[in-house]
Amino acid sequence: MPLVIALAWRNLWRQRRRSLVTAGAVGLVVLLSVAYFALGGAAENGLYQTLTERGGHVIVTAPGADDATRFEATLVEDADAAIATVRREADATLAAPLVLPTLDVPALLSGERRSRGVAIHGQPWPDPARERRLDDATLEGRFLEGDDEIVLGAALARALDVAIGDEVVAYAPGGAGYGVAAYALVGTVDLADPGAEIAAAWTTLAATQQLAAPGAVQRIEVHGTSLRRIADDDVSAALAATLGVALPDLRVEDWRTANPSTQQLLNALDPLLFAVSVLFFVLAGLLMLNTVYLSVMERIHEFGVLHALGAGDRRVLAMVATESVLLAVVGAAVGTAGGLAFVAAYADGFRIPGLASYYASFGLDPVFYLSVDPGQVAFAVGFAVLTAVLAAAWPATIAARIEPVEAMRFQA
Amino acid sequence: MTAEPLYRVRDLRKSYRVGEVTTSALSGVDLDVAAGEFTAVAGPSGSGKSTLLHLMGVLDHGDAGEVWLRGERIDRLPRGAAARLRLARIGFVFQAYNLIPVLSALENAAFVLELRGEDRAAREAKARDALARLDMAAYADRRPNQLSGGQRQRVAIARAIAADPAIVLADEPTANLDSRAGADLIDLMRRLNEEEDVTFVFSTHDPRLLDRVDRIVRLEDGRVVDDGTDATDAPASQATP
Repeated sequence: MPLVIALAWRNLWRQRRRSLVTAGAVGLVVLLSVAYFALGGAAENGLYQTLTERGGHVIVTAPGADDATRFEATLVEDADAAIATVRREADATLAAPLVLPTLDVPALLSGERRSRGVAIHGQPWPDPARERRLDDATLEGRFLEGDDEIVLGAALARALDVAIGDEVVAYAPGGAGYGVAAYALVGTVDLADPGAEIAAAWTTLAATQQLAAPGAVQRIEVHGTSLRRIADDDVSAALAATLGVALPDLRVEDWRTANPSTQQLLNALDPLLFAVSVLFFVLAGLLMLNTVYLSVMERIHEFGVLHALGAGDRRVLAMVATESVLLAVVGAAVGTAGGLAFVAAYADGFRIPGLASYYASFGLDPVFYLSVDPGQVAFAVGFAVLTAVLAAAWPATIAARIEPVEAMRFQA
Repeated sequence: MTAEPLYRVRDLRKSYRVGEVTTSALSGVDLDVAAGEFTAVAGPSGSGKSTLLHLMGVLDHGDAGEVWLRGERIDRLPRGAAARLRLARIGFVFQAYNLIPVLSALENAAFVLELRGEDRAAREAKARDALARLDMAAYADRRPNQLSGGQRQRVAIARAIAADPAIVLADEPTANLDSRAGADLIDLMRRLNEEEDVTFVFSTHDPRLLDRVDRIVRLEDGRVVDDGTDATDAPASQATP
């Protein structure tokens, strides 16, 4: 070990309590930063999961899908070929993909006495993500088993004044389908979101196609069911690009481009996480500044001797900075180990006690997946060292600029 | 033709100002030191001994006068150049030992060599050799707080000579030692001077040590009042027991 490093280490050990407290503070800040980044990552992953479970990792739509005034413009006609292409490419790219063609039909839904305009959602079932909200607490009756059945939000059923077993008639004139269909109400869903509950009408894809658009779909969603973290998702964009080439007449987007506002939110989150982390380091830096300053003041005489022996200003500056950096490196190593251990301990996800059923009622996955990338760990460690250097700058300058004779007169 | 002295000091002056009071520490000192000399700068407390050594060691700047080392004027060197000169050519021994407390005797002796950038093997060999020359080889691994005062001062001398300087300036090296340890230390320095031609200039206010030196420069009130070899020709005012 170089003598200067040994000297720095032993000087830290001279004031071991103070050094341990300071290194501990640095370690705590690094640990908190890593954990904080991991929790931030968990929040981002939660947003990602919600988005992709509800909308898919890759979404194929008609070019006019955003035209709410013309139902026909939103349709992918003769969708079987497109669905087959999507399924083939998804199988080649993703592990256990779920390809979900959907068709939402604007319709007037009527009970015996009342009517209400809604969009009837049709898709193949089962769909684990959308069905997550259906359990004994939220579902009354049962879920869909045939194309002549419908499940409604409980509020919508009340609005239509229908009960399980009643007939519900849907009118959707103007399309290529029958324009009218009667369904048996087999279940009602009690959702946490009243707005969603009053608009929820679910049936099968075949049923909505017969009603309004035979052979057509509005969306072909590809769900990567094994993808849990944004950091693991390097395939959505690639699959979207491949499908964009394979289906040139359709619009293909990955979850990021399909949700630009969410992408903006995610883009804004990282700087926010880093900014708050910087505040942690400022506090640690002040503690470190205090430690290094006291250490220098107590050893003014020694620094005078070093100068007298021929140590140059930069050498003394480097000695003090070395002590500070050593302190930070030790603290950062311990903090990083602790932070990564925390992340590893919850690598398989964690549930926030008491919130699981609440999340599930919104159809959200109640499991959070921590996520910290190497860049964030490097940031935490690098910033700890940078903080140490900055904290040492002033005391080190004092030590470097003292006059040897005056310093040696100073007897601690 | 007279050979160039190792040190040449001319009309060196230095005063200190404390509040409104200005105290003259050196009032025009002239001094030549030849290579290989073993010189004591003697005088009572406040006579300017330490100030003279500090200015010779470019640890401080005088108000006026000149200091030359091997033909190079050194009294106006900028801070960085002064540090490099001290590192390269001057060994220091201080009254309070001034060893680095967290380093072993060997590491202390090697410290100046480390500052010079010498590799580990070379500096360890030189430091061990220096400790051996001061009969301190057996204490190489001890920290300063595990050594007696005399032993600490030997380590300090080992640190000063390990880098083979042109001169060793020792400021009251025996002041913190008892008379026996002080005499032993001066004898050791004398042996290094005689056997290895190490040039020493040291300050002392202890007249009992002066019979061991070649030359005694007596200072009083910042002036050289005597520059000779006879320890017995001290002025009456200096003849302290």
